Amino acid sequence: MALENLHDFMTDYFIANQCEILENENGKLHVQLTDKMDEILMNRPFYWQYVKKLGYPGEPMTVSFITNPERREEEGEWVHFGSPRIHQIFRTLTNQGKYTRLFEENNTSQRTALVPWLVINMKISYTGKHKRDEIISIGLQLINGAMKIDMMDELNKISLQSSIADFSYTMTPIIRLKSGYQRIIQYLERYLQQQNHEWAQESWNHLQEEKQLLSHFYQNSGDDEEYENRFDQEMNDIENRFQPFIELSVINGGLFYLSQLTSNKLFI
Amino acid sequence: MNIQLKRDQEFIDELNTKLENDGPFTNWNLFKMSYDSSLATMTKEFKGLTAPNHLPHMTFLEHQLECAQQIVEEMNGRGILADEVGLGKTIEAGLILKEYMIRGLVKKALILVPASLVNQWVNELNQKFYIPALSQRKRPVWDQENIVVTSIDTAKRQQHKDIILEQDYDFVLIDEAHKLKNHKTKNYEFVRSLKKKYCLLLTATPVQNKLSDIFNLVSILKPGYLGNYEDFTNQFGKDRKNLFNDAHLKQLIQKVMVRNRRQDTGIDWTKRKVETVWIDFTKEEQEAYDELTRISKDSASFSSITYTRELCSSREACYMSLKKMLNQDKEIVNRTDYESFLGRIEQLPHHAKADKVVELIKDTDEKFIIFTEYRASQLYLQWYLQQHGISSVPFRGGFKRGKKDWMRQLFQNHAQVLIATEAGGEGINLQFCNNMINYDLPWNPMRLEQRIGRIHRFGQESDVNIYNFAIRNTMEEHVLNLLYEKIQLFERVVGNLDSILADLNIGNMEEEIQTIFKESATDGEARIKLENLSSVISFAQQNNSEEDWNGTRESS
Repeated sequence: MALENLHDFMTDYFIANQCEILENENGKLHVQLTDKMDEILMNRPFYWQYVKKLGYPGEPMTVSFITNPERREEEGEWVHFGSPRIHQIFRTLTNQGKYTRLFEENNTSQRTALVPWLVINMKISYTGKHKRDEIISIGLQLINGAMKIDMMDELNKISLQSSIADFSYTMTPIIRLKSGYQRIIQYLERYLQQQNHEWAQESWNHLQEEKQLLSHFYQNSGDDEEYENRFDQEMNDIENRFQPFIELSVINGGLFYLSQLTSNKLFI
Repeated sequence: MNIQLKRDQEFIDELNTKLENDGPFTNWNLFKMSYDSSLATMTKEFKGLTAPNHLPHMTFLEHQLECAQQIVEEMNGRGILADEVGLGKTIEAGLILKEYMIRGLVKKALILVPASLVNQWVNELNQKFYIPALSQRKRPVWDQENIVVTSIDTAKRQQHKDIILEQDYDFVLIDEAHKLKNHKTKNYEFVRSLKKKYCLLLTATPVQNKLSDIFNLVSILKPGYLGNYEDFTNQFGKDRKNLFNDAHLKQLIQKVMVRNRRQDTGIDWTKRKVETVWIDFTKEEQEAYDELTRISKDSASFSSITYTRELCSSREACYMSLKKMLNQDKEIVNRTDYESFLGRIEQLPHHAKADKVVELIKDTDEKFIIFTEYRASQLYLQWYLQQHGISSVPFRGGFKRGKKDWMRQLFQNHAQVLIATEAGGEGINLQFCNNMINYDLPWNPMRLEQRIGRIHRFGQESDVNIYNFAIRNTMEEHVLNLLYEKIQLFERVVGNLDSILADLNIGNMEEEIQTIFKESATDGEARIKLENLSSVISFAQQNNSEEDWNGTRESS
């Protein structure tokens, strides 16, 4: 699991959202929220509406979170991997952390060219009788079309910032963003075609069996319109339940400008 | 075979727009955290349950986990949960719903439960499973993506019905699903018409009367699975016992139904200690009772039995009914007898049973639930206990939901005694209390089982003490000795009595007993008739050899 340490994750989250950490020890985190985070997390829209209407400064709350199960009886909100608060934070992140444009840091005073990369983190969901997800992180170099898998692992090794460093300049992409994305999709389609889809075959067979049972059940019901409607609806229910499909959905992504050096390293 | 592929076009368009507008963009930290949280929430495997990892505050029992897994993996989300009462069908259902929600397969669900249970379901789903369930109140929320709990009666009202039937539900759950056994009812029709992907039916009694009950339930989940109705009855007949006796049918049903029984769960259930408390009327009371029996014998009215029965409960209960009868402007054969009897009631001392209650409760701090059949006795008891410094709260089936919850809380936190007139049937769970007084016995054994089920259920940590009050030399003695003792109702943990009574075509036990008392010329005759009735029942009990449900599962 990527979130081995929930406590650090929470701490990073509040810091990244400019909240002041008032206390942080042994599995307890005490946070002063900002106005914005209070609005996002604390679910008191009427309060904020009222404050804004009257033009008062709002008073954002301070909150304590307990991540250490041994301290869960203490004052504060016990958060664990399944708690609604964590999932609320996950949801805010899917919106907050979706689109980006980042530049590699450059601490030298040498003029450095930055190469454009399209990075796409894709979730593949296989749904039939049951469901499974897979996540693939892909980078596409927008000058020469080179592709790198497990891109996030590489990005974790370098320093990135939101604005371009003083002595850096960006190279203009040769591959347009949308055709870059198409190449990634094509790559994924090939990847999917090479797989063994036993799960889908199983679900497909099951779908046919259930359809037959249903037809048998209704075979003597004649042309009654009501039966006809229900037959259609139940057929529909069965298809919704067993028709195998694969869904590609982008978790997040963006345009990354990386130094020539870094870009080259990715292919050694 | 054909596998659809759904691609994401939205993202790249939006990214393009943002680049043209120079933002806004997220920073690296939030970008990375967003990716990490997706890794953490993705479903890695097709099989297995992930929900328990999300619910560290819950301890699930082995049979509950197995049940959830079986429904999800083998039954593909459509099944009958038919555990015996008190094994946690709600927990199993919550676990299944949670699993589907985590996997992103259920976003919109409809949960249909008895009206009295709506709040309880909403609370349990929220607190135990972090499932944001809502109860359907005045504001309709049918067309949104959410988890709605409501009663079937509300849902099928005209103003809701049409819009509900238009919705595509990912998940539909029906509690107390045995009420759907008849395929000609509006409820059955309604549930059949719902557009649904996954579907759970919860019932402790999957076959109540006829074997076709199970056919109808299965036809909601998997139409055609048991053939059509003609095929089914031709092959398996109509006898409900065939569900457990016909190996082929049993095997078929085991693919759509999970049934755990107490003895299969391997859990130590707390014991039931049942004690009969015999009480003697005082001399005045006994004389009054005999007098009333004499007067009633001459009366043709069926309800005259009720007056003597009420006198065994409290003076007040009897007085109120007599008064009501006499106030009616019609001819009553022995009006003067009854009128003078009213005067006699007023002279009676405090009821022998009420004294016994005080004696039993006053020296302990333990909580007690007292069940009585009569409202007047309830009021009287509350007043009488108060006179002895014992605090109590009333409880009636007719209370509104909020009031029921409130009374339950008062009882749990403040009062020593809860005095109830009805089991409130499927009403509330009171397993924090382990003492029950049956102040007067219902004549319908099923109602007794429901009463006991309020406290003797999963979650009860102590042995349960049940005190059955009966007054010697009255009709209560007969009912207790001849009926309840003989059919060993108190000792059985869960009765299959309802199905036995259905087999014997005894629709209403209460009426049966009333008729016996009414139509017997002498005490002896009543006794013999009662004895016959209980012999028939206990014979059927022995015959109806315990269902052998799991027996062939291992071998099949």
